Amino acid sequence: MTVAVDDELWSAIGDPIRRRLLDLLLAEGVGTPTSLSDRLPISRQAVTKHLGVLDRAGLVHATPIGRERRYEVDEAQLTRAVRQLNEVGRTWDARLNRIKGIAEQIQRQKHA
Amino acid sequence: MEFGKLEREIRIDAVPEIVFDVVSRPEHIKRWWSDDASFEPVPGAAGELVWGDRAAVEPITVVDVDPPRRFAFRWVAPEGRLPDAGNSLLVTFELEPSGDGTILRLTESGWREKGWEAAVLEEAFRDHERGWDGFLPRLQGYAPSVVPR
Repeated sequence: MTVAVDDELWSAIGDPIRRRLLDLLLAEGVGTPTSLSDRLPISRQAVTKHLGVLDRAGLVHATPIGRERRYEVDEAQLTRAVRQLNEVGRTWDARLNRIKGIAEQIQRQKHA
Repeated sequence: MEFGKLEREIRIDAVPEIVFDVVSRPEHIKRWWSDDASFEPVPGAAGELVWGDRAAVEPITVVDVDPPRRFAFRWVAPEGRLPDAGNSLLVTFELEPSGDGTILRLTESGWREKGWEAAVLEEAFRDHERGWDGFLPRLQGYAPSVVPR
């Protein structure tokens, strides 16, 4: 098949701050922009912006709680992202093995 | 490992001339990759890789043809656009004679230009010294503690 990638998902996890946010959310279960900005060297507004990107990619979900929003990781979508990352390397490994098989077969036929 | 680049190396028991044909000729590419492939092996030529009954069509642009040493092309451009520098991934096959065989080096670069950093993520994921690979174990460990919505 053609390359199975999802631009939005990949650019969402391509950013180190957003990966750190996912780490924190995974470690703590849930987080709010305020609680998360306490743990990172960026402002609450910046955290909110990054969480918005993760939300649009389906990697986190928000629940309103008072004046804030409580975020948690979407496990299914994160698993999907991880699988896609592994897929890129694996598909090339598979293609290279087929290239090797075909070339060696031609070589053997030439010398048979 | 350079960030933003996927790299692989493999030894093949066939001479570079044969390996070059296998990686660069449409009739061979059809055997190891797409269901159909059409392009002229000339730098700058536009072509395509096709899967199924054109269920998926991926335009490619041939970049470098230097038998039996090097073959390069671009692919994965935005919908409806031809792959060129800056909007696509560059795949390069480099061949080096090794005894009776060939060392084949594959690189796929351009991830950063596309804003994906996928190669970085993928490499980090494979490298247990780094942090990103902790995701799945942590996910399994912490998932039960996630407060239900």
